[in-house]
Amino acid sequence: MIPVDLDALASCLTSPACLVTQTTSGLIIGMLLFLVAVGLTLIFGVLKVVNFSHGAFYMFGAYFAMTAYQLTGSFALAILSGAVGTAILGLIFERVFMSRVYGRDVLMQLLVCYAFVLIFDDVVRMIWGPEFKSMGMPAAFQVPPLFIAGGVVPPYYLLLIGVALAAAVVLGLGLARSRIGKVIRAAAHNPGMVSALGINTGLIYGGVFALGGMLAGLAGALAAPVRSLTPGMGFSVLIESFIVTVIGGMGSILGALIGALLIGLIRSFGSLGFPLFTEGLMYLFMVIVLVSRPTGLFGKEVA
Amino acid sequence: MLEIRGLSKSFGGVKATDNVSLDFADGSLTAVIGPNGAGKSTFFNLITGALRPDAGQILLNGVDMAGKTPPEIVRNGIGRAFQVASIFPSLTVEETMLAAVCADQRRAGVTHRRFPLAETRDRAEHAMELLGLASKRNRTAATLSHGDQKLLDIALALVLDPKVLLLDEPTAGMGTEERWRMIDKVRELWEKQKITVVFIEHDMDIVFKIAPEIVVLCYGRILATGAPDAIRRNEAVIEAYLGSDDHAGAVA
Amino acid sequence: MTELQAGQGAQPLEVARIDARPQRHRDLLIALIAFVVLALLPVLFGSKQLLDFVIRCAAYGLFATSLNLLVGYTGLISFGHGMFFGLGAYSFGLMMQKTGVPIPVAFFATLAMTFVVAVVIGAICVRLKEIYFAFVTLAFQMLIHSTILSWQSLTGGDQGLRGGIPRPPFLGIDLSNHLHLYVASCALLVIGLFLMRQIAQSPFGYTLRMIRDNATRASFIGIDVWRAKLAIFVLAALFAATGGMIMALFVSGAYPEFAYWTMSGEGIFINMLGGVTTFLGPMVGTMLFLILNDTVTRVTEYHGIVLGIVILFFAIGLRKGLMDFVVEWFAQRRSEERG
Repeated sequence: MIPVDLDALASCLTSPACLVTQTTSGLIIGMLLFLVAVGLTLIFGVLKVVNFSHGAFYMFGAYFAMTAYQLTGSFALAILSGAVGTAILGLIFERVFMSRVYGRDVLMQLLVCYAFVLIFDDVVRMIWGPEFKSMGMPAAFQVPPLFIAGGVVPPYYLLLIGVALAAAVVLGLGLARSRIGKVIRAAAHNPGMVSALGINTGLIYGGVFALGGMLAGLAGALAAPVRSLTPGMGFSVLIESFIVTVIGGMGSILGALIGALLIGLIRSFGSLGFPLFTEGLMYLFMVIVLVSRPTGLFGKEVA
Repeated sequence: MLEIRGLSKSFGGVKATDNVSLDFADGSLTAVIGPNGAGKSTFFNLITGALRPDAGQILLNGVDMAGKTPPEIVRNGIGRAFQVASIFPSLTVEETMLAAVCADQRRAGVTHRRFPLAETRDRAEHAMELLGLASKRNRTAATLSHGDQKLLDIALALVLDPKVLLLDEPTAGMGTEERWRMIDKVRELWEKQKITVVFIEHDMDIVFKIAPEIVVLCYGRILATGAPDAIRRNEAVIEAYLGSDDHAGAVA
Repeated sequence: MTELQAGQGAQPLEVARIDARPQRHRDLLIALIAFVVLALLPVLFGSKQLLDFVIRCAAYGLFATSLNLLVGYTGLISFGHGMFFGLGAYSFGLMMQKTGVPIPVAFFATLAMTFVVAVVIGAICVRLKEIYFAFVTLAFQMLIHSTILSWQSLTGGDQGLRGGIPRPPFLGIDLSNHLHLYVASCALLVIGLFLMRQIAQSPFGYTLRMIRDNATRASFIGIDVWRAKLAIFVLAALFAATGGMIMALFVSGAYPEFAYWTMSGEGIFINMLGGVTTFLGPMVGTMLFLILNDTVTRVTEYHGIVLGIVILFFAIGLRKGLMDFVVEWFAQRRSEERG
């Protein structure tokens, strides 16, 4: 049968040190997933397109950051180039290719994205090579880990969680308060109306794609010091972000946050109790959510 | 005999159908009229199961339809056509008819795995003849004119041999001349098929000319029922509906 | 993509697609001729490579054509159809390895098992619409894939079912003989295609088209949409599992990739290549796909880029599959000649 180690899970749940360690590791998984998933959900909310190639932006973010770090030695520049580089990539991708398949079959959109999943992975393989790469931890964070209630917490994790949370807050406030945010929400609600008001929908669509790409790139850049880089690394992140958006509800930012944290915790605690079935747990959870609430936890009910 | 008893439905406090009770005798032809938002379409949606009533009964020959699903209600003999022609764009007229008859026969216990049985073909042929679509049998529905699409929609309901046929604005979106052709068709169908027909119509000229029975709905309630002459003289109707000259002008 | 859209772009063509005469005899004749031609192929060309190609075509072709019953005919975009391909391969392989029953018994037992699994999964999935249906099928696919990976004691985990699948002879047929396997695969392919063709042309097939075009209207002519969708979901799963079994026999094993999402992705890509508006479109797509895959893999290590560009050419450039293109071209020419 599928190996199950409930004893390990139970003993961790009763030990504060283990709880802290597993929770922080769950949180960083969750926050990285959130950054990728929120772009996915935003693009779906506004453009009604499921960006199947979104994982590639995460991958490019990581590789851009690694190259920038190797060239300049500055971690801040590495993060910046990861985010900006993928934003530009997102804009080009949307304007040149995705804009041709709006309003067409879902199947067509998925296929165009599928094509780019294949192409982008090979492009990375060509430029950076097929082998595993590692960016290494920036010097500033090569310090002893913190101990909270006996649990080990690397300081970099705190930075990562902080940056992702800040991005979430800025994004949430920006969409709720700013003029651009209102236009984006209006476009999500009624694209025809927005163009009737004389606002360039092409610009908004491109912008949303750039924003989504940037967030995924930021996630990739933040992950670069703690994950190994490989062509195809985007795909597992993509599938997990899908699960996050579907659980949270397509188009809902709050849903993406909650969904990402749930998946992060399921992954980190599930790996104790079900070492080989951690992924299976996520899919199982997704199935359960979809069956009980087809539009996700925070999705709008379809009339 | 279709009897509606105390049918009610509200949407967030707004009563779209408010305790409506009506009888439609077998073989009757009834027009449902009322100003926009009177709850005409909701009324149809309740009878056909597209919406679930909050309360009330829909008795078709004594059997309650309330709470049944649309396929169940259709199988019990209440067919409907839609305000916006609801058809199958990629199927040809003939395919549409044959497939509909087959779906109908399957539930009647006639199982067959291939097209077409002689009886299937006869029924489809009959419906196409009735609605004048026989010459367009090989056209895909998407390529038909607006009027023909409406006819096809009606044919789809009719080919199932319903006891009651509900037509939601059969003349919607048509020019004056086309409207009269369509409504003559509806009357002809009613006379030939001897079934109960209920239709929603905006055009007062049409309603008063062809419908022996009229039901006036307003804000989800029945304002009046009766023959055209009685309706024309009904104070409440004149006040609520015909009284506003501009509206009467707009719909004429 | 769908007939619906093909119809919108084209002129009002006069097409008589339902024949007054029963087509079954014609289909049967075509199937017999196809089988005879395929069976004679080894006599004319002794190349093992060619026979291998046909066997793979049979496995992938049954899979892709059954997916088209969902995607093209019913409008159900399944992103998890590959799970049944994998399920077929694994349960057949395991049954042969563990129980030693004769091949036909394992074959039908696998179909029975697929039936049960497909009913359960389908009952959950077909309630959902469009993109949510795609997602939940994908989730089930990944769930099955994870189960295969983690249930190492039974499935061999990421190494796949190793040690070969025993293929004891039955009724004078010895599937460990390459030629016998070839003929059996061809037979399964032809029978499978013939059956699927009958489904597509039956009244039930037209019920599916109605659901694809306008599910609401379908329910208002008395069609139980949920049941019809479930029925085709299960039927398609059975054919996909048959494809999986051919594959398992061919490679004498089963691998987690059979149940991975890429299998479903490839299936959809194949449908796209060939086109979903004709019954044989997916078969044409299968051949194109396998040839493309084989050539590109041989020529360059970056076959992702080449495949990606081909997909883009079809999706953005041609906007339809090859067979759709051919059929439309013929129809247009015919109507030009007439008018």
